Amino acid sequence: METVNRIIMFVTLLLAQVLILNHIHLFQIATPLLYVYFVVTFSMDTPKWVVLTSSFGLGLLIDIFANTAGMAAGCMTLIAMLQPYLLQFLAPRDAGENMQASAASLGFGKFAFLCSTLVLLYSILFFALESFSFFDWQMWSLRALGSALLTLLMILAIESVRSK
Amino acid sequence: MRNLLDFLKTYHHWFIFILLEIISGVLLFQYNSYHGSVWLSSSNVVVGKIYEWESALLAYTTYGKANEELTLRNYYLERQNDQLRRLYQEAIKDTSALERQELAFLSQFNPIPAKVVDNSVSKPDNLMTIDKGRVDGVETDMGVACGNGVVGVVSLVSDHYAVVVPVLNAGASSISCAIRNTGYFGYLHWYGEDPAVAYVEDVPRHAKFKIGDWVVTSGFSSIFPSGVLVGKIEQAYNSRDGLSYKLKVRLSTDFSCLRDVCVISDKSIAERAALLQAARDSINVINRE
Repeated sequence: METVNRIIMFVTLLLAQVLILNHIHLFQIATPLLYVYFVVTFSMDTPKWVVLTSSFGLGLLIDIFANTAGMAAGCMTLIAMLQPYLLQFLAPRDAGENMQASAASLGFGKFAFLCSTLVLLYSILFFALESFSFFDWQMWSLRALGSALLTLLMILAIESVRSK
Repeated sequence: MRNLLDFLKTYHHWFIFILLEIISGVLLFQYNSYHGSVWLSSSNVVVGKIYEWESALLAYTTYGKANEELTLRNYYLERQNDQLRRLYQEAIKDTSALERQELAFLSQFNPIPAKVVDNSVSKPDNLMTIDKGRVDGVETDMGVACGNGVVGVVSLVSDHYAVVVPVLNAGASSISCAIRNTGYFGYLHWYGEDPAVAYVEDVPRHAKFKIGDWVVTSGFSSIFPSGVLVGKIEQAYNSRDGLSYKLKVRLSTDFSCLRDVCVISDKSIAERAALLQAARDSINVINRE
């Protein structure tokens, strides 16, 4: 059941991103990168290779749609590497093996911390790679921070609905 | 041996991590040049199809505006055509010759109408996907224009889709253009941000032009015929080295609501490109000897 849920999430996030969210550029700056949500929410007992390869896969598919081969894939793999360690660090001591990474199980504060670390890291890296050949640090930091903020807001909004 | 297996078992995810990062790195640096793999871009069949559905769904929201613009431009061109025909007839007093020449001229051009299925204007390096590919006669390095002016150059072709590098691509777009009626030419570049403004560089210091003059394609490259509309001169600056002018141009194409474009496949252009290539080869041969 869990696996089916993850697959549905994978497809939904992919389609939402390429059909809707990639066209949003708030104030010409911020683009929501909601697909990071997929990496954030892996549960504790998911094997690390599953986390890595499925995140890489989602990143690569988004790259193919956006003509940015390798950009999202690389960044997604990096945060997918960090997620299990971060989750282990944040989990309460009495948590079960199969604890979900959600606001309900971690508490809102800790979950927000987990999200913001991963999202911020992701968007800084992603926009750094995007502006590789066209470096303008002001625009880069604006885009990275703006997009991170927007993504975070969306994730926390979805999560607060889900945890009820 | 056992230790080694244990080691691999405990740390296998690190190897996967490094492998995946290397794959991403290779993709990033190899295929992101615009002549990369068709399969890893939006010109692949599945992605193209999905974008096509999406754009079919959204098309109605922009058709009104595009239609209005085209009608106006059509009317303007019709008037101009009428006037020119009259002047020409008065000048040569032979109507049949005129018609013959017109037919010969028109048969040179073979525009392939296409629809834009995916487009962006907000990134520094924008790309565009159109729904015509190799099967329909589209090839790389063909020019793409719309009713209001120049759009870009085809860079990647699959059987049914193609990726176009539009003018709004700061890294890769450089189209040769000229000031209408005077013929002084330069190169069109875009530096990001405003999708309606681009710059013509390397215009010679002795060029004569006025603010408000039209800039059109020069026809020197083997991509566009001469005279495709680019935009209106808004301001002129000195270039950084002071040797040429840099012109700020308001683009006549509205990239943010582009739906219908046509790919220009011009037989004479292909012929000219072949001739140029032959000339280059013979020069190389001479140099080698």
